[in-house]
Amino acid sequence: MRMDRIGILALYLITWALLIVVAAPLLVVLAGAFLDPSLLGVSSERWAADTSAFVPGWFGYVFALYGRSMQFSLLLALLSVAVCIVVSVPAAYAIVRTDSRAGRALEEITLLPLSIPGIAMSIGLIQAYTIVRGQWWLILCGHVLYTIPLMMRVVTNALRSFDLEKLEGVAQSLGANRWQRSLFVILPNLRHSIIVGSLLVFAISWGEFNVSFLLNTPLHQTYPAALYATYTANSFAVSSAATTIFLAVIIPVLLALQWIGGREFNRLEQAA
Amino acid sequence: MNAARKLALSFPLILLLALLLLYPLALLLGRSLQNANGLGLSNYLLLFTEAPYRRALFHSVILSALVAALSSLICLAPAWLFANENFPGKNLVRAIFTLPMSFSGIIVGFLAVIMLGRIGAVPQFLQRITGHNYLAGSAYQLGGLVIAYLYFEIPRATLTLESALRKFDPQLSVAARSLGAGTWQRLRLLILPLIWRPLVSTFAVTFTVSLGSFGVALILSKRFSVLPLEIFQQITGYGNQGLMAAMSIALVLLACVINYSVRATSGLGAGQLQDAEGRGGAGPPSGRRIDAGEGTPA
Amino acid sequence: MKKLLLTALGLLAALVAHAQEKVVIQYDCIPNYANWGGVTAAYMKETGVRVPPDMKGSSAAMAALDAEKANPQADCAYYSGAIGYQAATKGLHQPYQPKGWEKIPDSLKDPEGKWWTVHTGHIAILVNKSALGGKPVPRSFADLLKPEYKGMVVYDDPTIQGTGFTFVYGINSIMGGGADMKAGFDYLKKLDANVVNYAKENSYNDLLRGEIPIWINADGNGLKAQWVDKAPIETVIASEGTVVMPLVMGMVAGAPHPEETKKYLDWCLGDSAQKLMAQSFFRPVMKVDLDADLQKQFPPESNYAKAITLPLNEMAANADAVKARWSKEIKR
Repeated sequence: MRMDRIGILALYLITWALLIVVAAPLLVVLAGAFLDPSLLGVSSERWAADTSAFVPGWFGYVFALYGRSMQFSLLLALLSVAVCIVVSVPAAYAIVRTDSRAGRALEEITLLPLSIPGIAMSIGLIQAYTIVRGQWWLILCGHVLYTIPLMMRVVTNALRSFDLEKLEGVAQSLGANRWQRSLFVILPNLRHSIIVGSLLVFAISWGEFNVSFLLNTPLHQTYPAALYATYTANSFAVSSAATTIFLAVIIPVLLALQWIGGREFNRLEQAA
Repeated sequence: MNAARKLALSFPLILLLALLLLYPLALLLGRSLQNANGLGLSNYLLLFTEAPYRRALFHSVILSALVAALSSLICLAPAWLFANENFPGKNLVRAIFTLPMSFSGIIVGFLAVIMLGRIGAVPQFLQRITGHNYLAGSAYQLGGLVIAYLYFEIPRATLTLESALRKFDPQLSVAARSLGAGTWQRLRLLILPLIWRPLVSTFAVTFTVSLGSFGVALILSKRFSVLPLEIFQQITGYGNQGLMAAMSIALVLLACVINYSVRATSGLGAGQLQDAEGRGGAGPPSGRRIDAGEGTPA
Repeated sequence: MKKLLLTALGLLAALVAHAQEKVVIQYDCIPNYANWGGVTAAYMKETGVRVPPDMKGSSAAMAALDAEKANPQADCAYYSGAIGYQAATKGLHQPYQPKGWEKIPDSLKDPEGKWWTVHTGHIAILVNKSALGGKPVPRSFADLLKPEYKGMVVYDDPTIQGTGFTFVYGINSIMGGGADMKAGFDYLKKLDANVVNYAKENSYNDLLRGEIPIWINADGNGLKAQWVDKAPIETVIASEGTVVMPLVMGMVAGAPHPEETKKYLDWCLGDSAQKLMAQSFFRPVMKVDLDADLQKQFPPESNYAKAITLPLNEMAANADAVKARWSKEIKR
């Protein structure tokens, strides 16, 4: 009994230590973003800071210089969600419903990007599509490739969790045609999974760096790439403000996942 | 509707995977095999004969393995608590643990610099209380790199392990104890066999993520090169296209070999490995089905 | 759901609107280097044309232009001299003679207009005094070899950054070496013991914070840190001497926005742009009247008595070999 107590206590200690490791740097960043810049003695970035005097601290500078990147990344994330839903849901239905060898092979291939390092994939995309290099949708392609396995998994798992054949059979016997069946029977059952999958896709796309870094152009630059630029070339205050903006978008999404997703989230997100 | 017509619904997915995944990979493989004298493995040989590349490859494997092993073990603690214990604020703690999930490597690198850099928050703090700036600049040493990699593996390892441990019924342990089994006996006979498989699959997941991580090394690794950095160098400097392709393929192969060998030894399906259900063993097709109760009825 | 859809549509509309907006793409447009942030902001204010920031160093910019030859993405690029020269010889530029062309000294431009100098800098030792931990400020390249500076020195990876290349190439001449570059490489090998990092990216931020105590880079960056950002930075021109680094621009062959680019390149040689660059302590190639205060902040000319001007054509011709040798012998 005592051994058990000690064991559990050790588990708590390790957990709290890890919690501090995870949270402390974020607190330092938040502090850095709201510090009075004059304390840091940095003034060369003022030229852009005065463009939006109503935004406190260095946020104005970040918005002025990297506002476009923010918009672009938000758009990429929302489009990734849309493409993933449109492509995954019918495919997942087909794979689960037919339960064929071809379907399972397809499922395996869909999961493949999760074990392919992003930088290798971006080199492949660059070499395969030199002719459209610099087009913004090439970055979208990279994001979709890395987020579609997540959406697929959420949706296939959900589809497998109920007896599709029976459900459809009942609907059919009640006179529902194919479109009615998918619209009023299958999709409503999937709503929850699609929301979870969408949040997941959004979160991953918003933070994605490995694939998009080499595909970025000055005109179409993702926000994580902009963050990298602030880390190397800007003061700590600006970098912290930029990071705070990043966190402000991602934290609500992750919290929503935590509460909406529940157990499903546990199972599915780790490979992201 | 027959099966073929149903499968046609997956046509957009097939097209997408063919264009964005298989074609670029095939092209990369082709490039990696081309050299001045036609086809051959000379680009891959360079990876082993040229010291910088050999070292980067070696570093990549060692660092990823070290980080994967450490994170799988350390994260057993929070995973066990989340799965089997109740304590106030559990949801919040768990939410904080998941935060680094979507942080790209560069953010983690930046955090490491502000905490453990030459004038990082930790050495500054230690300076204030002990008068010596211990740990200053440790972010740039191997230890710092390992900690930074651990940072983004914590949520992945914790959640992977947690979902596996949740399947473990604490009643079993109670029952074993009532039958007179001691702590170590229970650990050895009951718990270890149960967590072994999730540990292995967690290792595979975290190894793959570390192997491909690029942003952390871009910011932190000063003298310690890893393979993704060498690829970056090849593309930003005047690189050897064949060599660059060979490095990329080497990364892909390494990741796949680890993933699939783990799968082979533990009898898990790919989907399961990624989900780390930790309860494989049943034949792949039926084994990967999710029980009705386990899904999420809307 | 509807709201999300509307947001997406709004963002898409914004993207389309941005596509209509006039832009000039300049590779190697680092906001904190030579005041490009200030220069591009002023250009935006004056003309409404946006020149977005770009973090590529000289060599990375050249490599990107080469990779995109079939489908150029950039309109112009900014380099340290030798790399710009090399890019021009690789056929990546188209000739253009911007307004004020005739006022640029002949040694600082290509006769056809494939590249020209916008300002010059010198290789210097930038020191963050508060990060030295009480050690004396190094005065020479020889000082940098002292063991007390172990783990404190940073210079840029010459295979990526032009400034790093200029230093790696120029140190040989500073040390009095010959064509075999032996003196230079011998020095770099010894320096390696004290180097903490061969930076792949601009390290201005790290120098300001003291994360990097000693950065071998362009003098302008140190002077700006000292005078504009009021950081405890000293810009040391080494007692052995220094090399002059012309910083050049060129118009990319097949530039997607040729008309806008020409206007922008003209403007960069104009009075207001040249003055802005001088505010970052890079010496304008055109004669401009600087404020007396600013003038005083530049180090005295006598510091630069031993500055060496290296022939760009030779530097460019040997660039690939020197970079390869550096990767092999120094970076290892």
